[in-house]
Amino acid sequence: MHDLENNILLIGYGRYGEKIAKFFEREDIYIVEISQKNLQKARQDGFEKLFLVELEDDEALNQILSQKNFSYIFCALDDEEENVFFTITIKSFDKKIKIVAICESKESERKLKLAGANKVIDTMEGSASKIFHLIEKPAVMEAIEEILFEDEDIDIREIEIPPNSFLEKKHIKDINLKKLYNLILIGLIDKERGNSFVFITKGINHKIDAGDILVIIGYKEDIKRFIKDLKESV
Amino acid sequence: MNRLGSLLINLAFYLENNSQYKKIKEFFYNLLENDHYRYKKYFDYAMIVIIISSITIIIEEVNHPLYYWLNIYDIYIVTTIFIVEYILRLWISDDRRKIIIEEFENSVFLGTRFDTKKVLKRIWISVKDYIFSPFAIIDLLAILPAYREIRILRIFVLFRAFKIFRYSKNTIQFLEVITSKRTELTILFLLVLFIVFISGVSLYVFEAKTNPNVHSLLDSFYWAFVTISTVGYGDITPKSTEARVFTIAIILSGLGLISFFTSIIVSSFTEKIDEIKEAKVLTRIDRLSYYYLICGYSHLAELLAQKLKNEKKNFLILETDPKKLEQAQKKGYLCIKEDASKKEVLEKIQLKEKVKAAVCLAQNDIHNIFIALNIRSISKSVPIISRTFSKNSYKKLELAGVDYIVSPYQTAGLIASKIITQPIAVEAISDILSKKKNAVCDEVEVLRNSFLENRKIEDIELDKYRLILLGVRRIDEKGKKFYFNPKDDFILKTGDLLIIMGYSISVSHFKSLVIESSLRYARFRK
Repeated sequence: MHDLENNILLIGYGRYGEKIAKFFEREDIYIVEISQKNLQKARQDGFEKLFLVELEDDEALNQILSQKNFSYIFCALDDEEENVFFTITIKSFDKKIKIVAICESKESERKLKLAGANKVIDTMEGSASKIFHLIEKPAVMEAIEEILFEDEDIDIREIEIPPNSFLEKKHIKDINLKKLYNLILIGLIDKERGNSFVFITKGINHKIDAGDILVIIGYKEDIKRFIKDLKESV
Repeated sequence: MNRLGSLLINLAFYLENNSQYKKIKEFFYNLLENDHYRYKKYFDYAMIVIIISSITIIIEEVNHPLYYWLNIYDIYIVTTIFIVEYILRLWISDDRRKIIIEEFENSVFLGTRFDTKKVLKRIWISVKDYIFSPFAIIDLLAILPAYREIRILRIFVLFRAFKIFRYSKNTIQFLEVITSKRTELTILFLLVLFIVFISGVSLYVFEAKTNPNVHSLLDSFYWAFVTISTVGYGDITPKSTEARVFTIAIILSGLGLISFFTSIIVSSFTEKIDEIKEAKVLTRIDRLSYYYLICGYSHLAELLAQKLKNEKKNFLILETDPKKLEQAQKKGYLCIKEDASKKEVLEKIQLKEKVKAAVCLAQNDIHNIFIALNIRSISKSVPIISRTFSKNSYKKLELAGVDYIVSPYQTAGLIASKIITQPIAVEAISDILSKKKNAVCDEVEVLRNSFLENRKIEDIELDKYRLILLGVRRIDEKGKKFYFNPKDDFILKTGDLLIIMGYSISVSHFKSLVIESSLRYARFRK
């Protein structure tokens, strides 16, 4: 992520960690591993900021954490129990650190959430959904893949409404983002109605205020144009 | 070559070249033996009704004089039907003309004389094999009661009841289980004969003169059998001390025999339990018009099965590990203990005809590749989806014929890369895919003559239905193409798929409107 200056700590360079690391810039990423073998592999793949930590060596881990201000920590070891253990260890140092953890079952998801993980990615659930859509509604899955991953020009973005923008105090049904910017609005977080995401298809005519977050899909250029207009109208 | 020989050869070749004859034979084969044939079950039901009516008539006859036409029905019509069925079954049990042709070709090839005797012998063996098969014997016995003059034959009417078994698959299985233990049962039978003989003779020797109830050797054999079977009516009892001591020994051996018999039956069932369950599953599959195949019951398969079950979709699981199989069975899924990498397994489950898509979810890539190859060898067209563990397997899986490869690690990486900057968006998409908040993505086909056909996107006013259009997928000469967020003046054509997003209730409402409008037009035209 180019626009993010913060650093990312990746715990685990196994089957999951390896894939996650690929999506980030090499300079941004710090890798912690408990196995010498996996760390070796990370080095071969071109990563430089590597640390070997014993599973129960809290001090070594704390030292790494205090060195840098990590914006996010990924717990992506192949073993679910170790992920839970690392999550709870890190949260015991500092509750504010944001942790994204990988798990493979509902049971571990529950434990990780209890341990304090901010986001949990259930990979098996995700894969099962994917297979289900592939066999039942292949066109839907292809479309989603195309939008999310394959077509580099299309992006899904969440956009926070700045104060005093041209959308402020307007109702959602009165603005046609498709006509104006060729964007699809799929839903939003309306701060007036609580902090949860609501799909636009629910049919509520939301009033937009500063701080609300819109989730849109569209071509990157259109999104840029929209954001620019939002900022300039302030 | 004698005249009979040449007659046989001519007949065989005439039949071999007569397609009408073959067609008729095939029809009767399907009707009588082919469980997959649509009309077989009606034939079976009709036969069951006839059998039951015949038995009812016999019971009625015990106390009431029979109506004239009922008697005619029972003696002539039912018997005729049974005889015709018997002959048809004998006819279709084997292709006997082939024996003649084969022998003839052999004799031509070797330059020897056509041996009529040998051919007739082979035909006789083939006929005999059928006549002495258990079901053929029952069929024959069921015909016998037509001779009302011989009283004992009347009892064979009950064999008509046995005939019912023929028309029910479960009982056929039961008989198969029993026959699989033929050796053990034969030993048991001989043992029983032996003991009945010994004890019958001894009772006769000890008591024939003193015991008023023992009139003949048959009486004492009857007593011996009643005793060792532990039934013990008590109409004949030993009176002398010697005979009583002897009886104790007989009773003990009787207990042994009974438990031996029980254990044979029980063990044969436990041995065959998988087969019986499998046969049940296969009959259920037979009734489905299509289903999904899941190879391997891994954790991922469990989740997928749950989703399919929620949507009331039919699927079959193949798993070799008994522990995992048991888990699947507990949840009530259709599953078989079979290896999907074997060809005959896939043929048995009618992969080519009934599987809409196959998913390979075995524990490792090697096995998934094996399964995919096996599926492809049978069906070129069925979509195959496979999970992969290592990135090195991508190419191999593709070569093996897998259409879509799903990697949980890859998915995790993609999600992780977006979750930092776009957490809400990621959640929204995963909500849609997992249907957590009832919001779904679905495809709607532009049906011929529906209100979508040849219309501009903006005229459809999807927001009126509370739906969002993500894009349109169109297949034309150039192949599949996905039009993301098409412009308002985009014109829809028949066969296009609209990819829409909305709450499940709005989606299904919209879908039914499309179907309705297409049907209404068709009705209007009529």
